[in-house]
Amino acid sequence: MDCATCEAMVDVYLDGEMSAADCAAFERALEFCPDCRRRLEDARALSGLLRDLPADRAPDLLRARLDRELRAIAGKSRPSPAPVATPTVVATTLLPRPSLRWVAMAASLLVAVGIGWLGGMSSMQGKRDADELTAGFVRVASSDHPVDVVSSDRHTVKPWFAGKISYSPPVRDLTTGGFPLLGGRVDIFDGRKVAVLVYRHNQHKVALTLWPARSDNDTPADIAQRDGFVLAQWRHGGFEMRAVSDIEPAEMAAFVKAVDSAEGPDR
Amino acid sequence: MDGMSDALEPEGDTVERFRTVMLPHLDAAYGFARWLTRDPVQAQDVAQEAMLRALRYFHSFRGGEARPWLLRIVRNTWHDAQRQRAGDQPLEVVENTADDGPDPEASAIAVDRRRHVAAALAALPQEAREILVLREIEDFTYKEIAAVLDLPIGTVMSRLARARERLAGDLEGRLGRRDHGLRDL
Repeated sequence: MDCATCEAMVDVYLDGEMSAADCAAFERALEFCPDCRRRLEDARALSGLLRDLPADRAPDLLRARLDRELRAIAGKSRPSPAPVATPTVVATTLLPRPSLRWVAMAASLLVAVGIGWLGGMSSMQGKRDADELTAGFVRVASSDHPVDVVSSDRHTVKPWFAGKISYSPPVRDLTTGGFPLLGGRVDIFDGRKVAVLVYRHNQHKVALTLWPARSDNDTPADIAQRDGFVLAQWRHGGFEMRAVSDIEPAEMAAFVKAVDSAEGPDR
Repeated sequence: MDGMSDALEPEGDTVERFRTVMLPHLDAAYGFARWLTRDPVQAQDVAQEAMLRALRYFHSFRGGEARPWLLRIVRNTWHDAQRQRAGDQPLEVVENTADDGPDPEASAIAVDRRRHVAAALAALPQEAREILVLREIEDFTYKEIAAVLDLPIGTVMSRLARARERLAGDLEGRLGRRDHGLRDL
């Protein structure tokens, strides 16, 4: 590979748009090309500066204005005030995958589970958090690229987050607990960039969003069903944990247990 | 803002589904509008109008990634708003872009650096600004950027390269570190 080729590949490499084979060739070429190494470092630094900019959060006023508009539009076509979501409709139209659809229907048959997100789910903020997490899971579950870093090796996944988010999440291997690691991605939750670890359980995925807690006290997991999904909320080892999946609540409990009992050298 | 032929009057169920699928991206819509408009108040108007437009066109959303779909609407909404206005607004750098909200951990230097970076980004022409925001702040793939900007991937790549070069030059100028690279910032 000559330097001109190498130079042209710096951005593509950094943007993660290069095939694994090309990456290997590029990395070999870099060893012999100090100029391109410098170029790569500069490009990485520039990217880091931009990614370090704080994320803008939609102001509450905008949220409130929009909410009012949406209510007015919904009210026009529906005489009675809108009931709390319609789980089956939401889940089936949203998700083409049969497994998800089945779980969603099963979940809605169990009861019209109006179980709140214990503690805070009934509040607007709690509901919005749950919506945000569920939408994040839907992205994971329905995308061809559910993770940005694909690896079952936590030693690959953990360093990948460096420079992308402001903290280092504990990444644990839960294969023995029945939840092999698929990889990780960065998502926006509550206006900040957060780490999302994606695990697999049979044909299902579990998205675990975690960020540093303000308190060190561990709390037991609240597991709730909502719109056909299972959500778990707890605190462990100084991290706030939120898990969303389309597995059964009992399986979610097993997942929580697996996370909590996997003491890695990581922490 | 009308003249949309295939827009449908949304029904209650559609609104609920829209809330679940699109509303979580309101922050992204606002953030992108903020960088496009460079004005927090105008950004709210653009984001709100774009969300309502997105609802009217929600029937044409075929699943997949919601964020690129929505941000494309944000951008179109902004362009329409600009077209309605006679003159463009002055290219004033937005203040307080860099340090919204308390950030006790950040040192004064980091805050200062962020302000410079935000100001340099805000001062770029839209063509460079929007593509950098989509790539680095939204973390979009080339394909997603191509969808938002309605460009071929090759053009996305060349525009991105030009935008980066320009921002790097501007930043080095602003921060007076011509002798060192950005690495030393």
